[in-house]
Amino acid sequence: MIEIADLQKIYRMGDVEVRALDGVTLDIAKGEFLGIMGASGSGKTTLLHMLGLLDTPTSGSIAIDGTDISRLNDYEKTLFRLYKLGYVFQDYALVPDLTVMENVTLPAMLRKDLTEKQYHDASIDILTKIGMLDRQDHLPRELSGGQQQRVSIARAIVSKPDILFADEPCANLDTENSRMVLDLFREINEEMQQTIVMVSHEDWHKDYFHRIIRLQDGKVISDGLTSTKSH
Amino acid sequence: MGKKELKVAFLLALRSLQRGGRSSVILTILIVGMCFTNMIFLPALFNGIGQSITKQVVDYEIGNVLVSPKSGDQYVADLGATLALINGMPGVERATPHFTKGATLKYRQRVLGASVRSISPTDEKQVSPLYTKMVAGSYLGQDDTGEVIIGKPVAGDASIRQEDEFQASLGGVRVGDSITIDYGNGYVKDYRVKGIYFTGWSQADSAVYVTSTDMALVDPKAADNADYITVRAKPGYSEMFIKNELIQYGVSQKVQTTSDLLAKSMGRALQSFAIINMVSLIVSVIITTVVLFIVITIKTLNSRRQIGILKAIGVDKEVIMHNYGFQVIILAVLGIILGIIIALLLAMYMAAYPIVTPEWSATLYLTPMDLVINSVILFCAAVVAGYVPAYQVSREDIQTAMRA
Repeated sequence: MIEIADLQKIYRMGDVEVRALDGVTLDIAKGEFLGIMGASGSGKTTLLHMLGLLDTPTSGSIAIDGTDISRLNDYEKTLFRLYKLGYVFQDYALVPDLTVMENVTLPAMLRKDLTEKQYHDASIDILTKIGMLDRQDHLPRELSGGQQQRVSIARAIVSKPDILFADEPCANLDTENSRMVLDLFREINEEMQQTIVMVSHEDWHKDYFHRIIRLQDGKVISDGLTSTKSH
Repeated sequence: MGKKELKVAFLLALRSLQRGGRSSVILTILIVGMCFTNMIFLPALFNGIGQSITKQVVDYEIGNVLVSPKSGDQYVADLGATLALINGMPGVERATPHFTKGATLKYRQRVLGASVRSISPTDEKQVSPLYTKMVAGSYLGQDDTGEVIIGKPVAGDASIRQEDEFQASLGGVRVGDSITIDYGNGYVKDYRVKGIYFTGWSQADSAVYVTSTDMALVDPKAADNADYITVRAKPGYSEMFIKNELIQYGVSQKVQTTSDLLAKSMGRALQSFAIINMVSLIVSVIITTVVLFIVITIKTLNSRRQIGILKAIGVDKEVIMHNYGFQVIILAVLGIILGIIIALLLAMYMAAYPIVTPEWSATLYLTPMDLVINSVILFCAAVVAGYVPAYQVSREDIQTAMRA
């Protein structure tokens, strides 16, 4: 599903060159729940941004479902993100002036393959699933951090994207809310065969992943299946 | 941009205004409204002054068309035939002659120089509303002799001492009093004041009116001559139509419309008004543009991370740009509506309480076209002011925006 070959990202700050990613080569299969782990500054978020088409690599290639994303122009990348990808951010990144329902339906509203009724029904379904239907008219500031993150996940998956990217989604949550979010990811992954790529630096999260790659200084230092997958 | 994209852009704009900083929204609308009022106020006031002067000139001086002696002549001669010709033309409500003589008015110890105008009262009623402006006594009858009507400023106020008067007067003449008029040609006559009028037009109010019959006793030339003839057009007939008709049908005197005369006498003033209007318009447009530019720039700078997030979840940059564009459009439309309401309220207030000077009184003269043109100008300026920062920020790459 995702093929990454010799991916490099080099930031230049004056004479200093920082290799955020240094020759990452990786394949991610459909339906996989992949964890990207590593210390701070190891290149986890940079890799996720490359995969999510939020940034461009210095060299190397990424192909998603056979599409070489380096060949896409700006508008095609936008459409690719809209139709194929979902994104969950560390700080929830909900639009503060929109209600829960409006936040969830926002990306789906733009999709030409969904009618108003379809995306409205899908939003109701997903809000029911995450237990937030009764809060559909609330604004993000009226919700707890855990609730906001659940809404963020609902927004990311409402139009059933092929791949869901999550950038440290539990970083601002307590353990209970973190577990709730991870359970939700697992449920989505199992029920909908949703491919999930999640960045984390919490060691206990590894119990949820099928596979974990570990990064250090922009390089993959380990790549292996977890016991979760073997179950 | 499809319908769905516009719908999302509008939703984002609407919610941002509804649920964002309400005070800044209200303040922005207020500023746009004030700028609109500023744009429209001075031109409307100048138009009001122009309209007021034009109306008073038409009503109390020259009618719609003025027939005056041709070059080299002192009077409009052969008056009876000329009046009959003019009054017989289609579109002419009535033509009436005026004969004016300078004179000295005397009342008790007061002496005052004034113009004595002779009129044909019956005809004059169809040309000038002077007869409706009587504040005391009554208007002249057609064949009155020995009677006069005088302007209120000429009559004066007995309670004001002569040295305190703003304008010289006869010191408090009342209806029924007798005044002496010395015409300077050796003809001196006592007249009974039949009425006192006040029009608000200083040239009319500082004059004295007698009948043509009376004037013919003063100066026999007045019987078949006039200094000028004022012509009132019937409703629906233009001044130019009447003028062309008079010339075409052989009126050999000098024929001028009110517009012709005002263009000559007020041309420089109108040019000055136009310059002031233009400066006022440009200043208002600049203020509105700058204010909206600042408002949208601040909004976009404060929302750069959010803009990055929106792009990350698949919202196109055009949608983001139109989001801010719609916000500006909504602010501008509401501001313009507020401005129109303020302008109309001012117009209503000034209709009730006009600006009054010794020369003219003025109200705000607003036409629907003025409102439309100014609305369009302000709207266009607002859209440019909003879209420039929106365009810039929407082009920013996702990483830069998200790091903001």
